[in-house]
Amino acid sequence: MRANVWSGRNTVQVENVPDPKLLNDRDAIVKITSTAICGSDLHMYDGYIPTMKKGDILGHEFMGEVVEVGRGVSNLQAGDRVVVPFPIACGDCWFCRHELYAACENSNPNGGLAEKMFGHPTAGIFGYSHLTGGYAGGQAEYARVPYADVGPFKVEDDLPDEQVLFLSDIFPTGYMGAEFCEISGGECIAVFGAGPVGQFAIASAVMLGAERVIAIDHVDYRLEMARNKAGATDTINFREDPDVVEQLKLLTGGRGPDAVIDAVGMEAVSGHVPVHAAERLKQAARAETDRGAALRDAILACRPGGIVSIIGAYGGLMDKFPTGALMNKGLSIKTGQCHVQRYLKPLYEHVKAGHIDPSFVVTHRLELGEAPNGYETFKHKEDNCVKVVLKP
Amino acid sequence: MTENSTAGFPRPVDATLHGATDYSVGAALMTVFPRLARVEGTPAGRQIRTAGAIHAGYSTLTDYPLGVVRLLPYKAHLAIDAIGALALAATPFATGQFRQGRSQWVPHVALSAFELVSLMLSDPTGRGNYKADVAAVRRSNMEDPHRKVHDKTPAVTRRSDSVARETAQ
Amino acid sequence: MGSKAAITLLRSHEEVRRLWNSPEYPHEYIDAVDASVTFRDAPGDRGTEIHVELERGAPRGKLREAVQKVVGSASLAKVKDDLRRFKQRAETGELPRSEGTPEGERAERKLKQHPAQPLKESELEKAGL
Repeated sequence: MRANVWSGRNTVQVENVPDPKLLNDRDAIVKITSTAICGSDLHMYDGYIPTMKKGDILGHEFMGEVVEVGRGVSNLQAGDRVVVPFPIACGDCWFCRHELYAACENSNPNGGLAEKMFGHPTAGIFGYSHLTGGYAGGQAEYARVPYADVGPFKVEDDLPDEQVLFLSDIFPTGYMGAEFCEISGGECIAVFGAGPVGQFAIASAVMLGAERVIAIDHVDYRLEMARNKAGATDTINFREDPDVVEQLKLLTGGRGPDAVIDAVGMEAVSGHVPVHAAERLKQAARAETDRGAALRDAILACRPGGIVSIIGAYGGLMDKFPTGALMNKGLSIKTGQCHVQRYLKPLYEHVKAGHIDPSFVVTHRLELGEAPNGYETFKHKEDNCVKVVLKP
Repeated sequence: MTENSTAGFPRPVDATLHGATDYSVGAALMTVFPRLARVEGTPAGRQIRTAGAIHAGYSTLTDYPLGVVRLLPYKAHLAIDAIGALALAATPFATGQFRQGRSQWVPHVALSAFELVSLMLSDPTGRGNYKADVAAVRRSNMEDPHRKVHDKTPAVTRRSDSVARETAQ
Repeated sequence: MGSKAAITLLRSHEEVRRLWNSPEYPHEYIDAVDASVTFRDAPGDRGTEIHVELERGAPRGKLREAVQKVVGSASLAKVKDDLRRFKQRAETGELPRSEGTPEGERAERKLKQHPAQPLKESELEKAGL
């Protein structure tokens, strides 16, 4: 089959690889009808994620039709249309039983590696380096899905792919970010990052009842989409004025937002040119792995007693984390890889009820063979690119 | 390794890495290099310090990811790198100091060779290292990005009490 | 740098003992080395803890101590592998297999992964599948 594989820094190639086979009784094979490129894929593309191997198939947002199931799978049969969540969860360990699926203890066969980096093993993830298990990803024609009796979510045929595809990752991730903010109605929420996850965080905050949702980014067309489609009430482009903290205070009558969502992660861009230059230099020399410009601003901007909700992806260590501001303002941090499995059903109901149309983020729909161009376009934010969907 | 240029060999150093090297090597030349090469206090030492300062200087004015004031086009920067490398190698011979011993010309030639090799490995393609074929993307895109961004119909409805209750489980 | 390892299973004390002694749930490395294995109830609803301690004679001399540290950490990695594999089998009924590590978790495999793409027939045979 054809698959998009990692071939080195800034290089992906669509190659012919063997078709997947069942390896375990609880596996299923899915024929992929739609898949997408995620912002976190860019961290591997840019060379910031260790334990990559040439030939690794990328992609963790995919859906399609079940074509084969192992003997241990009774809830699915060939022909079922499914969306596959990106964390691989066994369903049987203490964490899965407590709905903390992204913390599954059993699904990562390279748990020892993750333990060295993070202190504990975390769940396996499709197509996301050997740290998360070395599972083949979904930017391909077929994928093997482990624990198919736990993960894949059956969807009916009436909704087009692009309205349900994002249940696999970015919609639940954005939603979890907004849920962390404990919105009860009337709050001001600041969302750092207007990429696809940021767009869903904004839309979810709107759905949950926030009164003001402020989108922060440095790319005008993304802020425009946040305003037009996702429901942002205000936007800040920090290229015009790099002092985001001050602008947020002005927009909130001097108070600061009640909660902040970091939907940016480790490749943050600072509006202050020397700061950004210094951070890029440190990263190029691998003296730090994570650029924390967005997180720093978020912590400084959040009002005392507020919530810092971190859904942007980080991998290692950042410099100059504002522990003083955090502690003295009494902020709460809530963060994590999204426990997608617990959001699938409720968010699917929202889509079916017409409360949200997730396909709004899709700006590019390309054939799988165009994946290398897709990555470059997405990475450099060319051609009004927000989200790229690939069709195998 | 993808072919980043028409040169027919890989050029894996992108503009960011080139910039990182510019600053680190420039700084090293201005500070510790003369002592390590045992040319401290000699004409060679002064020349190397000057070369380092000039190099770091025009790097800050270059239009590439690590530039501070983005004036000088990246390709022009690479051209200055090449000319500077040749000038540095020629300097000991132009002044005649090469007759005073190896330490008065070998560092220049070595640094020049290093610079020329790094130039050969540097990918000169434009701002932001964007290597995709925009035209091909626009042709094969089955969606209209401009419309998706600028269309004013909201994709989400503001909360009604039912939404929060349903999801609160 | 210790010679102990522990893991918790979401199963009752009796169940864990029974499975530990059953031939379908092997733990070959722990059996082969001189190790003491004890079981304890974990607090609350967390299940049962398994503690493994490798017997070690007191090392004589700095060199032996250093050697023992290196060999010991490799040994401890294999003990942890055995424990994780036992837990995976007991809780989920199978070993997690990825394209990078088709035999399940193995210390030796950590540095020599297969690329994360489906295996060819010959590779599947070699992995015993």
